[in-house]
Amino acid sequence: MSNETITIRLNGRIDSGNAAAVEQDILSQLEGVQASAIVLDAANLEYISSAGLRVILRVKKSISDLKIINVCSEVYEILDMTGFTEMMTVEKAYRVVSIEGCEEIGRGANGTIYRIDQDNVVKVYNNADALEDIQHEREVAKLALILGIPTAISYDVVKVGESYGSVFELLNASSFSKILATEPDKMDWCVEEYVKMLKKIHSTVVPEGKLPDMKETVLDWATFMQDHLPEAAGKKLMAMVEAVPHDDHMIHGDYHTKNVELQNDEVLLIDMDTLSVGHPIFELASIYNAFVGYSELDHSIIQHFQGFSFETGMTFWHKSLAAYLGTDNERKIREVEDKARIIGYTRMIRRSIRRKGLETEEGRAEIAYWTKELLELLDTVDTLLFNINELELDAVADNLQEVQDFIDEHLTAADCPLKAKMQIGVAVEEIFVNITHYAYSPKIGKATIRVEVSEDPVSVSITFLDRGVPYDPLAKADPDVTLSAEERQIGGLGIFMTKKLMDDVVYEYKDGQNILILKKNL
Amino acid sequence: MLNIKKEQQGEAAIVSLEGHLDTNTARELEEELKDVLLQTTSLTLDFEKLEYVSSAGLRVLLSAHKIMSGKGEMKLVHVSEAVMEIFDITGFSDVLNIE
Repeated sequence: MSNETITIRLNGRIDSGNAAAVEQDILSQLEGVQASAIVLDAANLEYISSAGLRVILRVKKSISDLKIINVCSEVYEILDMTGFTEMMTVEKAYRVVSIEGCEEIGRGANGTIYRIDQDNVVKVYNNADALEDIQHEREVAKLALILGIPTAISYDVVKVGESYGSVFELLNASSFSKILATEPDKMDWCVEEYVKMLKKIHSTVVPEGKLPDMKETVLDWATFMQDHLPEAAGKKLMAMVEAVPHDDHMIHGDYHTKNVELQNDEVLLIDMDTLSVGHPIFELASIYNAFVGYSELDHSIIQHFQGFSFETGMTFWHKSLAAYLGTDNERKIREVEDKARIIGYTRMIRRSIRRKGLETEEGRAEIAYWTKELLELLDTVDTLLFNINELELDAVADNLQEVQDFIDEHLTAADCPLKAKMQIGVAVEEIFVNITHYAYSPKIGKATIRVEVSEDPVSVSITFLDRGVPYDPLAKADPDVTLSAEERQIGGLGIFMTKKLMDDVVYEYKDGQNILILKKNL
Repeated sequence: MLNIKKEQQGEAAIVSLEGHLDTNTARELEEELKDVLLQTTSLTLDFEKLEYVSSAGLRVLLSAHKIMSGKGEMKLVHVSEAVMEIFDITGFSDVLNIE
């Protein structure tokens, strides 16, 4: 019986009047027991004087593994002041909070959040032994706050039934899910604020080692999938995740509208335990799942979880992705969505299999559906990376307007003056139409258009890439623009105008690509 | 997008353009000008609301100019600064009648 832990209750007040009697009582309880550890349960202890503290020290001398639990705040203060909290484990007593009849206002990966009164909410953790999780969340929430992300930090740990909870102050707050469910006309406002916060998170650099790397987690998912996908598809998935570069910017990890609160006109995050660093595509994958993926087969899931319809979720996702990418270009939005879906389906398939999904008919059906979608995506998508400044499309004249609109969005975002916009428009038209005529004719091939705006001096550069026949449009001699109307030939005028309207036009043929760059100072 | 408005007054015609005269809309203008070019000896193109002209647009303007100069005249009015720059660069300001 040498490994026994013995628990002894301390009651009422312990002072010089009764310290000796208490010590005697403890020693008698230890007599004949080969205790290796001792737990002093202070649930009913109201006060302890220095005489009482000396008793505890003497007990600790005989059994060094001693901890005091359920300490009320008055006693804790004494133990803290006298340095006892440094010498031994002292656990505070947890206030008991009931959530019966309380409104659920949020739900995250590790717990559910309830409003307990007008000013306070409690996050009840799923894991019964959650003290470590709570500590972790407090630490990452503090880190986020220091790095400039508005978030609520818990001020108390409580007991809720058999689980632990952490209490936050949250006044007059309403989750974005609730706003979307009850005030549909605020959709666009919600999208704007939601994306503003998301961009803020993604532009926050996290000091090395402070947060886990999401890529490691996704690599685990991809590794898991190797046994559940055809070999080639599995390998491709793995290679695509491996090719995502390390990124030290913050990602939230569970960024859906129940975790975003509006408190007195301030947007605030409330669920921070999934905070990590990584490439934004990993974040977009989890957002896709929250609004679309998990509910794709059963639309009632999102209604139950978020309180709004599947259609509302789809619309919110689509608008948010468009705003995040800064484009209305459907091709671009779809491209990034497809990349997000690859990670999203990977995650859901793994989750379902680990929850014994293969053993039920329902589970097999969802796994089969997600796997089919995933395999189709792996067939057409070659990288998880995306560049919001780049558009790839067929080099055909019908796509000219789309190219112009895409470039126009970037120019507008850069406050480009109207005149320069028009000049760039003329040049872009000449170059793109040129590619549609010469690069692949009579076949059809792809062209990539990249827009980059740089400061100091403010300038824009537009790059056209195609894999067609090598063709240098600048090689042609300039037309004679002094000829009369009758002698005029229209050929070559487009390129001539382009050269005149731009500050620089450069062509090169490299790695099997025609590369033409337009530069314009704004 | 190009809006084309035509007004015929006897032998004279006024065609007002609004929007972009580019690769896609140049064809529309060419179509719209066909009958005007047949019936008119004096053609005025009002560019007040025209924001943009590309080389495809210049091609249509040049061929219209060639047809009109054989039997009358074609002139451009209310040309914006931005469009005028295109005409200047390409020498079109010396070829076309611009008021």
